[in-house]
Amino acid sequence: MKNKRRKNQWSAWWFLGPALLGIILFSVFPILRALVMSFQSGSLISMHWTGLSNYKYVIQDPYFAKALQNTALYAFTVVPIGMVISIAIAWNLFNRIKHSKFFEALFFMPYVTSTIAIGIVFRYIFNGQYGLLNYILRFFHLGTPNWLDNPSMNMITVIIFGVWLSLAFNIVILMSALRGIDPQHYTIAKMYGASDSEMFFRITLPQLIPTLAFLLTVNLISAFKVYTSIYALFNGQPGIAGSAMTAVYYIFNKFQTVGTPGVAMAATVLLFLIILVVSFLQNKLLNKVGRR
Amino acid sequence: MKFIKKLAVAATTAATLFATVAGGLSSTVSADSIPTKVTKKTTITFWNGMSGNQQKALQTLTQEFEKENPNITVKLENQGQYKDLQSKITSTLQSPKNLPTITQAYPGWLYTASKNDLLVNLKPYINNSKIGWGSAAKSGIKSSLMKGAQINGTQYGIPFNKSVEVLVYNKTMLDKYGVKVPITMAQLKSAAKTIYEKSNHQVVGAGFDSLSNYYVLGMKNEGVDFTSKINLTSAKSKKVIDYYADGIKGGYFKTAGSQGYLSGDFSNQKVAMFIGTSAGESFVKKGVNGKFDYEVAPRPGKWNMQQGTDIYMFKNASKEQRTAAFMYMKFLTSKKSQLYWAQQTGYIPVSQDVINSSEYKNNKDSKVPAQVEAATKNLYTVPVTKNSNAAYQQMNTIMQNILSHAKNGNLNSLIKQGESQFKNAWNQ
Repeated sequence: MKNKRRKNQWSAWWFLGPALLGIILFSVFPILRALVMSFQSGSLISMHWTGLSNYKYVIQDPYFAKALQNTALYAFTVVPIGMVISIAIAWNLFNRIKHSKFFEALFFMPYVTSTIAIGIVFRYIFNGQYGLLNYILRFFHLGTPNWLDNPSMNMITVIIFGVWLSLAFNIVILMSALRGIDPQHYTIAKMYGASDSEMFFRITLPQLIPTLAFLLTVNLISAFKVYTSIYALFNGQPGIAGSAMTAVYYIFNKFQTVGTPGVAMAATVLLFLIILVVSFLQNKLLNKVGRR
Repeated sequence: MKFIKKLAVAATTAATLFATVAGGLSSTVSADSIPTKVTKKTTITFWNGMSGNQQKALQTLTQEFEKENPNITVKLENQGQYKDLQSKITSTLQSPKNLPTITQAYPGWLYTASKNDLLVNLKPYINNSKIGWGSAAKSGIKSSLMKGAQINGTQYGIPFNKSVEVLVYNKTMLDKYGVKVPITMAQLKSAAKTIYEKSNHQVVGAGFDSLSNYYVLGMKNEGVDFTSKINLTSAKSKKVIDYYADGIKGGYFKTAGSQGYLSGDFSNQKVAMFIGTSAGESFVKKGVNGKFDYEVAPRPGKWNMQQGTDIYMFKNASKEQRTAAFMYMKFLTSKKSQLYWAQQTGYIPVSQDVINSSEYKNNKDSKVPAQVEAATKNLYTVPVTKNSNAAYQQMNTIMQNILSHAKNGNLNSLIKQGESQFKNAWNQ
């Protein structure tokens, strides 16, 4: 018995080997290298030990604080808002609309289009003077904010864009989850005269919990790593006066443009720890909700 | 357990090996004697950030060079925009074997490369009478541009695609309101004010594309160089900031905002004048499209910023490659090439003779050439020191922050905040 298990283990290692090697080389090694670099200063070609000074710089840098604030604001608004809207759209598509496949494909299109390209289009939509959005707002005699050039509007613009972007993936996953629910539940519920909203809250939502848990985790992590949409919206800068600076933007900027990889890596390590803690807490919370 | 230990040892060994290979190599080619002829087939690579017309013109010039020098092949490798090119250079510096023979670059991008002895000092090539010119003066390249391609006093680069800032104005509108073309900053202010008032606040008078340039040149005009010693809260600095902030408060100045350039607002007649790069004229022309007459004048104020990149050579190149690359650089900066290059792209010629030549000045397609001589009298470059490039870029964000709150913010506290951000950029 013991012998057999050992044999199994060895062959398992052989199967795991290639993948494991890849993971060590391209995932574990970079993380360790980042950790080491966060204690070093100088340029990439001549790094030397500097102790905790990078961490000191990052923690005291008001831009990093601002970047973390913005990232948290983005993650904790875009993810729930995007999720609620996606559920509403998916439920309506599934329940009330014929040819839902067609609309599903339509909603999925942004996901397969480059964010940079969409961002450039949105730059025209959001333009304060000639933009489509303000044209519509003006038509309804509503205020026309300067979405792109007013620093205090910049994060709101990014959030609107982020919510819109998050819909595509969410809707497709939710649609497939909805299709997986046994239709007999609904037939029986209807027989007993359940209303639409009762069916949604008593049958659909509980059945969607595992899918929602998956989407929340994936969305939250990607929200913490937001970068491309900001780059595209503001033409290669983190908003006016750095007002839409996010953590990953900060890291990229310090690494590639400023040329202080040590500082960038210190920020990376801090962000890594934050994402780790948040994901952990979220999982705990979802486990509790799921058990109920 | 034993296996895990073994695995750990193997992984550590692999990681160490990888790190050594990736980070430990450096070039060891020395440059004691310069071959003056390329007798063997030699290939050189040239990283660049040229697109559209610029790329086409570069390809044409390169083909011509290859025809004249059949032994040399030039591989043009486009790396995207300047930002991408800078990122690519920065990340490739750690494995110098992968660097190209030559690259376009701003000197500020290569500060670390020069510190780590990765660049070729071009002086011996320039002074070589066979493949060079004999001396820098004999090259005919404008001396201020040549000096701008130095890092810490060493001539690492040769200026190539250069531009300066110019004032672009809506001639139809200025004539209509009886406004003279401004020569000084004070005149710019009053001209902008007049236009704003006479147009019933419909047209903003003026704006600056680059806020970093605005501040750096504003300080230089006040006699202050761009160093870490600049204090944003000093009287001179406040004067420079207030000039623009007052204009925004008064409605007669504006900034480019997220669009990055004012040429769009200019062609839609939302702004009457703007200070932008001379290399952007083609965009202005396309946007204006005959709706009104536009003209170009030298930037108001004494100093002007020299912009655009130089060509630098990396030490990983072999002796033959270095000679071939230098011959190519010399070809690109020759009078004939520069005239063609300037006419095709809108960059200003690096050769003083071409700037003065009637062939260049009388160009009917472009309004920049006639102004270049006056616009390049006093050229300034941001000094290349540690973090000067970061501080220069940070200046843009600081100014954006101050100016976007000019209408209703407490400027003094914003300037103070800017001062600490500025110092932070220098000390990282």
